[in-house]
Amino acid sequence: MKSIYKIFTVTLILSVFASCSSDDDDGSTELMGENSVTLEFDNSVGSDDLLLATSSYTNSQNETLTITRLNYIVSNFSLTNDAGEVFTYDKDDSYFVTSEETGSTEVVLENIPAGTYVSVTFGIGVDQEKYLQGAEGQGDFLTVAEETNMMWSWQAGYKFLNFEGTFTSETVTEATDFKVHMGSHGSSLDNYKEVTLSLGTDALVSDEMSPIIHLVADANAILDGENKLSLTEQSVIMVSEEKSPKVALNTASMFSVDHVHNGSEHSH
Amino acid sequence: MLGGFFTAQANDFPEETTECIWKNTAYEYFCDTCGCGGNGGSMGFGTGLNNNFVGLRYIGQKYRSRDGIFDNSPWINENFNTVQAWGKFPIGNRFLVNALLPYHSHNRTFADNTEQTINGIGDATVLAYYNVLRQTPDSVISIKPQHALQIGGGVKMPTGSFDAANIEGSVNPSFQLGTGSWDYILAANYGITHRNWGLSALLNYTIKTENSKNYLFGNQWNVALNTYKTYYLSPSVSLTPQIGLGGEIFEKNQEFSLTVPDTGGEVYFARFGVEANYNRYALGISSMLPISQNLNKGKVEVKNRVSLYLNINI
Repeated sequence: MKSIYKIFTVTLILSVFASCSSDDDDGSTELMGENSVTLEFDNSVGSDDLLLATSSYTNSQNETLTITRLNYIVSNFSLTNDAGEVFTYDKDDSYFVTSEETGSTEVVLENIPAGTYVSVTFGIGVDQEKYLQGAEGQGDFLTVAEETNMMWSWQAGYKFLNFEGTFTSETVTEATDFKVHMGSHGSSLDNYKEVTLSLGTDALVSDEMSPIIHLVADANAILDGENKLSLTEQSVIMVSEEKSPKVALNTASMFSVDHVHNGSEHSH
Repeated sequence: MLGGFFTAQANDFPEETTECIWKNTAYEYFCDTCGCGGNGGSMGFGTGLNNNFVGLRYIGQKYRSRDGIFDNSPWINENFNTVQAWGKFPIGNRFLVNALLPYHSHNRTFADNTEQTINGIGDATVLAYYNVLRQTPDSVISIKPQHALQIGGGVKMPTGSFDAANIEGSVNPSFQLGTGSWDYILAANYGITHRNWGLSALLNYTIKTENSKNYLFGNQWNVALNTYKTYYLSPSVSLTPQIGLGGEIFEKNQEFSLTVPDTGGEVYFARFGVEANYNRYALGISSMLPISQNLNKGKVEVKNRVSLYLNINI
């Protein structure tokens, strides 16, 4: 029996010593190289996941909406690091459509230099500078926008937001279609907006680390945000000098960062 | 002789000096596997303060956790199954060592009906205790209340594998075989017995370190209070029902030294159990039901834990 105890004592002592050497690295290794940064645009209605066509919700204006489409253009990405330095993504590659119905809600920014990033800035829609480059200046993005219902016509311009579904209210008792298409009106009305979001948790980029920034876009804000827009009053909002700037402001405020995944192993 | 730090006392069979009534009272809630938000893997070192044993224990735990960040994200059921070999061995008069090695088989089913199973050896734990209060010699049969106080410490070794893919995002980060880290445990146990009654209290704190995937599970407190009574059915058979309360408190996890949101929290349990003793054999069953909990900002819920064990006193 005595020898058993000795073995246990030795094992215990050894394990304590062995462990002392393994907790020295504090993870403060320098970030080197470059990698991708993924932004996932996860659409919600309030604190619920947005489920197209299958669920409805009632907003503060007592209108009950069933959403069937939520597409929007996000663009002109830049990332700010902990030293306040801004890395601006190449403008020609910086236009994306996210679409709930096709499930393409990820924006992957390639070759981001290593660093500790604390905020992200992006636009909703297409800025005038880009639009004024003419149809040829749009590159592949013109095709992408056409295929995802994000174009009126070249003259009328891009739809920055395509938000559709049906609704009922106190006075509209039959399910009625609504369409909210917001964009700049050619070059006469500029509805392009930019937002800057703090990441909450730093996003770490290096040769080994490619973070995912998980954003939430609250679709309820589009009509029921800072500006209240009643579908009962007007169920199709497209080229409206009065209403589309309000939709643009509401849309720009619908984004928040839920969390950041750091590391390289992303499986789920 | 080594088996009898305490004498059985004030019972119908005082000759059973090595069969002590301090059964299944200490370390019950010590949570060794992951402790990263409710994975209380082992439910600890169970059998009494002073009988030395080797044994096998099954622990079943049921959790549910949110697969997603939204209020309407689906819940996923998770089943954690553990079989552990464990034992307690004295070293000299005042020291004792607890050791355990778990084998886990955990499974969960996602909303799309895909199933994930992980099997394998978990994290081995070795704890050494010092008896602070001098023990009553075996020959003395006291009718006064007996106190015991043990303080100790130990290590949990990363013998279980840690899969970084399982910590991602919104599902229970504790779905692991091990923390992947060397963790250190500080522990204190107090017990008092009088006649066939006993009361025990324990407090322990696990200090976790960053693993090779730069993930750090939050440090963890375990507290427990148990009371029990032993009934002697014959000179060789006794039953010890017990009832108690336990708590587990987790600090937040970190990844790359950055706090991981929606981690940490606490859970409090009611515990019921009974241990049957026959000569050198102890067969026990116990159940832990949560009374109140807030784990991972409500995204992980403990449903219940059950444990079944067979120990042989040595």
